[in-house]
Parts: sequence; C-alpha cells; structure tokens
Amino acid sequence: MAYDIEAVRRQYIGFETAKARGRYPVEHDTIRRHCHMVEDNNPLFIDPEYAAGTEHGAVLCPPSAWLALYFASLGPWPAAFEPLFPMVPTPGKRIVNMSQDVEWFARIKVGDHLSVVRRVVDVFQKGIQIDPEAVWIVSDVDITNQRDELVCRIRNTFLTHRTPAELNGE
Amino acid sequence: MVKVRAMQREQRSWDDVEIGDELPQLSLDITVKRLFLQASGAQDWYPVHFDPAFARKAGHEDVFMNTGFVQAALVRLITDWVGDAGFLKRLAFEMRRQHRPGDTMVCRGRVTAKEERDGQACVDLEVWAENEREGIATPGTATVILPKRGE
Repeated sequence: MAYDIEAVRRQYIGFETAKARGRYPVEHDTIRRHCHMVEDNNPLFIDPEYAAGTEHGAVLCPPSAWLALYFASLGPWPAAFEPLFPMVPTPGKRIVNMSQDVEWFARIKVGDHLSVVRRVVDVFQKGIQIDPEAVWIVSDVDITNQRDELVCRIRNTFLTHRTPAELNGE
Repeated sequence: MVKVRAMQREQRSWDDVEIGDELPQLSLDITVKRLFLQASGAQDWYPVHFDPAFARKAGHEDVFMNTGFVQAALVRLITDWVGDAGFLKRLAFEMRRQHRPGDTMVCRGRVTAKEERDGQACVDLEVWAENEREGIATPGTATVILPKRGE
C-alpha cells in the first residue's frame, strides 16, 4: 500500500505524548561521561567541591538539550520509552537528525528530577540524495523539573529514509 | 577524594564584550576512541554513529558524529567563554554536513550583537563546527546572558 503522507499529517500533527518522568534524578557520572567525550574539564560540571562554592551551590548539568532529554526520559536501555519514531509511521526506518533549536529558562543541577512532554509539530516529505521521498518530522519537547518549572524547550527536526537496497526493491 | 584536574573559566562581563569578538576555538580529533566516547557520553547507541557497515548500507560514506556530540562541543565552546555566571539562553544549529573519523572538528564563534533585552544583558553569537573536508558542517546561532560589571 502506498504511503499516504496527507493521512499521516492529519493523524499525527498536534499529537502530544503523555508526560514521562526520568528514571533517575540528574546524576554526576552521566554528566562526567558527557563532558569526557568533548574533553570538557569545566569544574562547574565535574567538581562537586568547586561547584558547591559557586553561586549555584551544586554541580550543574551542561546546557545540552541532548543531556537534558536523557535525564528526562527513561534512557536507551532497558527500553521503556516510546520515541516519536516509529510512533509516526514512515516508509524508511533509517534516521538522520537535522537540526535543533533550544531555549533555556533555568539551569539544571545534580539532584533535579526532570520530565518531558513531546508534540509533533510537522510531518512532511522532502527528498534527500539517498531517498527522494524521505519523511521529515518536527517536534517540540518541553522539559520540566521537579517543581514543574519549564527548564528548556527544544524544537528538533529529523528525517527518516529508506536504504539504497530498499529503494532498489532488494 | 581525588581532586579533579579541572580549570575554572574566566568570568566574562557584558561590558567587556564587543561585536566582532571571537571565541577561543575548540578542536577535537574524530578518532575511533572518540566514537566510543561519543556512544558513552551521549548514550546514543544508533549504529550509524559507530558501525561503518550499518552506515554504508544506509547510503552514507561512513559513520558520522551524532547530534549529542556536536551539540556538546558547541555548548563547551560557549560555556568556556561565558564563565560560571553566564547563562546560555538559546542555541540553534543545523546538521548540514557530517563530521567523520579522520576529521578534526573545530568549533568557532563570534559576537554578532549585544543589547539589553527585558533587563537582561544579552549577547548574540554566530557559532559553528567545521572540518577540513566539508568546511562549515554545522552552522548555528546562540544567545547568552552575561553579568554586567560589578554585578
């Protein structure tokens, strides 16, 4: 059956997930590993003694939307978190993230407990070199803390595509 | 407790910033070790970011660095510059080209505007991540809030 982008748009644009709470509070070692990958030795993010002496009073989570979303969700394993894809049906199952626009409203500290709500803002088809009928999904993600304060809002755009073998009918 | 060999960042004041100022660049070699650090640090286990056979089957030339990694590098570029009291208000970026093993990813930025908005001392930045193979692969913009002198 042919993929019907208009039917998908009608069904999924505006769809909002239930609020999900992170499995764990914001914790030191996940931040440390995140900093390690980009050699970030900022003591505000990795040294509890130093951070306690600053105006913030505790280690901060670097303002990375990726890390905030990790803490607000249930993590990649064990899987207990339904991502927007494949919730929104697409002909291809390969993913490429294309852009993010993140606005921050508050800092995140170790010990905070984050939650997330996601909304589908747009779904459309636009060809890429690999797949002339790639499907793009735009979503808004709101991350709140344990006081129900909005911490950040993320607009994320990713696309899904088919493999060359799938396009060749293999 | 083992002391972390960390280095405190200089605190930047809004008053001292001028349009055209450049942020100190950040260079990261994309090595196989970095791919492992990426998977661990971003907790992104999608194989297109570390399994060349998976990436090629999808139609890519090779594995490429994920959003979490590139974002972390841009965030480090900015947080290194703003100091402890600075606040990253907004960061937007596009993953137009890829950063792959063998590349050196260089993050850069410059000041494009400074003005007070709603009582906050804001500085707008143009930021990007480039490599020698693709040029500017990840263009972006950011807004930070800095303390004013004496605050």
